[in-house]
Amino acid sequence: MKVNVSKKQIIACVLIVILAAAMGCVGLYGLSSRASDSGVKLVQDMQLQSILNTAGSGAVDAYVAAEKAAVTKQVRDAGGNMKAVREATAKVEVEARAKAEELGIGAVDLSAIDTKPLAAALNTMVDAQTVYYAEEARAQEAYIENYQATAEVDTSAMTDDSGAEASMEQAVDMSGFVATEEMVRLQGGVDEAYLVLCEEIKVVFPALTDDILQSLKPTITAVMAEQKDTFEKQYDRAITASNTDTGMFGWILRQARTLALSAIGMVILALAVFFYEPLVKKMGVPRLIIGMFFVLLCLLALILGLSLPTQLGNTLVRLGMNGVLVLSMLPGIQCGISLNLGMPIGIIGGLFGGLLCIELGFGGIFGFLFACVVGIAISAVTGVLYGMLLNRLKGDEMGVTTYVGFSIVSLMCIAWLVMPFKSPIMKWPLGPGLRTTIGLQSAYKHVLNNFLSFEVFGVVIPTGLLLFFALCCFLMWLFLRSKTGIAMSAVGANPRFAAATGIDVDKMRILGTTLSTMVAAVGIIVYGQSYGFMQLYQAPRQMGFLAASAILLGGASTTRAKISHVVIGTFLFQGVLTLGMPVANALIPGSTISETLRILISNGIIIYALTKSGGANRG
Amino acid sequence: MAKKNWSEIIRNNIVTIMFIVLCAVCMVFSGYTPAYVMYELFGRLSRNLFIVLALIIPIVAGMGINFAITIGAMAAQIACILVLEWGVQGFGGFALAAALTVPMAAVFGFGIGKILNMMKGQEMIGGMILGYFANGLYQLLCLFIFDNIIPINNPNLTIKGSSGIANTMDLVKGGIAGTLENLWKLSASQAALVFAAVIAVVLLLSHLRSHRKNNKALAVNLVALAAFAGVMQLPFMVELFSMVKIPMVTFGIVAVLCLFNVVLMRTRLGQQFRAVGQNRTVANAAGINVDKIRIIAITISTVLAGWGQLIFVQNMGAFQTYGAADQVGLYAGAAILVGGASVVRATNTQAIIGTILFHLMFILAPAAGKNLFGDAAIGEYFRVFMCYGVIALALVMHAWSSVAKKKAPKASDK
Repeated sequence: MKVNVSKKQIIACVLIVILAAAMGCVGLYGLSSRASDSGVKLVQDMQLQSILNTAGSGAVDAYVAAEKAAVTKQVRDAGGNMKAVREATAKVEVEARAKAEELGIGAVDLSAIDTKPLAAALNTMVDAQTVYYAEEARAQEAYIENYQATAEVDTSAMTDDSGAEASMEQAVDMSGFVATEEMVRLQGGVDEAYLVLCEEIKVVFPALTDDILQSLKPTITAVMAEQKDTFEKQYDRAITASNTDTGMFGWILRQARTLALSAIGMVILALAVFFYEPLVKKMGVPRLIIGMFFVLLCLLALILGLSLPTQLGNTLVRLGMNGVLVLSMLPGIQCGISLNLGMPIGIIGGLFGGLLCIELGFGGIFGFLFACVVGIAISAVTGVLYGMLLNRLKGDEMGVTTYVGFSIVSLMCIAWLVMPFKSPIMKWPLGPGLRTTIGLQSAYKHVLNNFLSFEVFGVVIPTGLLLFFALCCFLMWLFLRSKTGIAMSAVGANPRFAAATGIDVDKMRILGTTLSTMVAAVGIIVYGQSYGFMQLYQAPRQMGFLAASAILLGGASTTRAKISHVVIGTFLFQGVLTLGMPVANALIPGSTISETLRILISNGIIIYALTKSGGANRG
Repeated sequence: MAKKNWSEIIRNNIVTIMFIVLCAVCMVFSGYTPAYVMYELFGRLSRNLFIVLALIIPIVAGMGINFAITIGAMAAQIACILVLEWGVQGFGGFALAAALTVPMAAVFGFGIGKILNMMKGQEMIGGMILGYFANGLYQLLCLFIFDNIIPINNPNLTIKGSSGIANTMDLVKGGIAGTLENLWKLSASQAALVFAAVIAVVLLLSHLRSHRKNNKALAVNLVALAAFAGVMQLPFMVELFSMVKIPMVTFGIVAVLCLFNVVLMRTRLGQQFRAVGQNRTVANAAGINVDKIRIIAITISTVLAGWGQLIFVQNMGAFQTYGAADQVGLYAGAAILVGGASVVRATNTQAIIGTILFHLMFILAPAAGKNLFGDAAIGEYFRVFMCYGVIALALVMHAWSSVAKKKAPKASDK
């Protein structure tokens, strides 16, 4: 491969690489120092100091309380009333605090005492805590899983706005969670370890009683360890509680991971700068930007201590969930109707299939297949009609499809209100019409997700879902390679040439449109089974845009697309969305920036594709 | 011959006729009194007419319905937020917001024009998606840049307990609400007299200045005006408009905009708009800088849309920070199409008739839906369906006719 690299690029690359090397070295040094004696000692000292600080303030309180009690007794004996007592105690409290400071009751210098027994007790306790928290996390996870499987989710509480997808992870009510036996046993171990620690603390602060130490327990244990602890969190807690200055070495220890990961990011950036030209040629600017953004998000997730495997697992689920919907764009683009933004027409067919499935009480894999068959049947009919409409407006499809799709979605809003379905799962408890969000627990929720699913490195692989997506892609691939499929693509590529070779252009366009509509029907059923809900009313409206932006992100144009575009585009798009939300929430808590991000990416990519669609050259 | 004309008129205005019938049916079933409907209608007209009129120039310039007017509306909202932050009250605040809107909307309009020039033939869908995209940028600005990077000191504007601009902007508290409306309000009969008088003066003046003195036309116009003003004084008309208070300044501004549209089309620039709209290739060959003309058209439209949104929000007295602009393009676009405009041809009259009919349906549909089907939601969804449906229908009919036109010469070749 011949690469043309300008001088500027080389300079930028060298600078970035030098910076990356420096950061990487410091980071690696920090990481290795964490395990070294000096590193361990630094953190331990901080933890000890924070224990001493906490205990010290406890000791001061004890001293003051004792003084106060003495004064109260004095005044009482002298026959003083309540007011006198109050005044006297207030006065003595100030004095006692000043005196305690003078005597140095609360402040103990770490270097002045023998820390060995304290440190040993501390280590035992932290170990016990770690084991306990691991067990707690496991038990809670099991509880959540169990809860989600059995609990009837209150669907009426969910709103029907387009951001509903953001609430995919429902909040689980943890009030019913009971500690397991194992947890109780481990908690006992922690308690014991704490008692040992207390004895050691008492050596330093003789004034402390058991009661006071017991009341300090939550503070001290919280500083030492917590559930899903990391070095960074431990360090941050210790440094705030101990109020010590750790200097440069401490900073390096704390930031080691960040530095090392940033170095990796810089190297990737340098590579991207170096191979900018071939990369842009191969991937196009938007895919490059989004790809780099995805890498950035992955690194940020690692830096922020989020579980990357979990997020990637979620991305895989989302890939399977949205993949079929995105696949439905493919035949539309290939047959020459450009982006099928009227895809909601197919989605409505699929929704209908799902509704019938619930109404008739079918469930499991049979229910899923039933819904698919009904959905395909309905959208085959609507697809043919829709294709015939589009044949009469060649060249202007995009605008028309969008608004035809929109108006059919709003027409269906009325239909959902008046349809004579009976099942209580679907109907509003009061008044007519279907719910905006319908739970699929009784029907086919997660039948594909759970089929043959297994766990690797803590990532649950939704085998059935991915297999189904792969099957759909394979069938589409086969079709596009069949005689009919090639004829259809020829119509999309050059209608005049296709007509000249004797292909019925209109028929092929109808075929492509219908196929697109039918795949969309299956797509929404797959989406629903993974999501666990069916969304009616306004929800299908924006789905065409999301699918279109995904396939364009994968590298398709408005006139040409491949299966690989579908897979890559869906993965990138969903990956950015899945990773974007936790990362954004960690950076700016409680923000909706990931939703904003979705709007920007999905619409930005469509605008880019439109500007590249050759419109500028037309007359 | 006459028969053919009739059928052609009906075919060309099928949407308008459909809407008139629909409104009549809804009127019967809604159970509202005419006086109440008039009151609602004039309220809606005063706040919506301006922005619909802002759509005309891009249509003439061949760019279809400018769904990107949402971006102009966003510029106006940003201006509003700034004015509220600075605490400028009363008419001065409104004027400042209007002045601030101009540079912002002009810059945005220029950008939109540049992008739309890269997607000729796809302007409408492009404009719509640009609107969505701009909505993302607007959220970014209001949620993360304002109050974080640009400090906002007015506590009423920010979300309590978090950062970013609050969901609702209260213009009543900010002192801008109704500043334009309340300048001068008259009852309908008085307003008719004033408008008739003004129009008569304008007619007379133009008559005196024009070289071809068409006395007959002038007389007919003046008599019609007098008749209109006279009819408005009749007791049953007074009864019909008993609840209406006409905000003279708002309608005056709308009238000025109508005049602007007419006058502009007679200037050189207006001719260029029309030339570009009819055929870009021919216009280019005639030496017109097509891209530049298109950018000018979109920029004017965006600035006007910004003012339109300002009129809207000061009339409403409050706006949803994150939702108010979203539907502006949809409603305005549907309104102008209802009036009989197409995506290539639009006039002031069509815009005004369309706005009247469209908002009449908006007022009546929920009540009619409730009375007919026992559910207000049906009427609610029905009017959303009508918005999209009207646009879809207009686009289909336009595409249809242009495909037919392309085919027609071929057929004659054979």
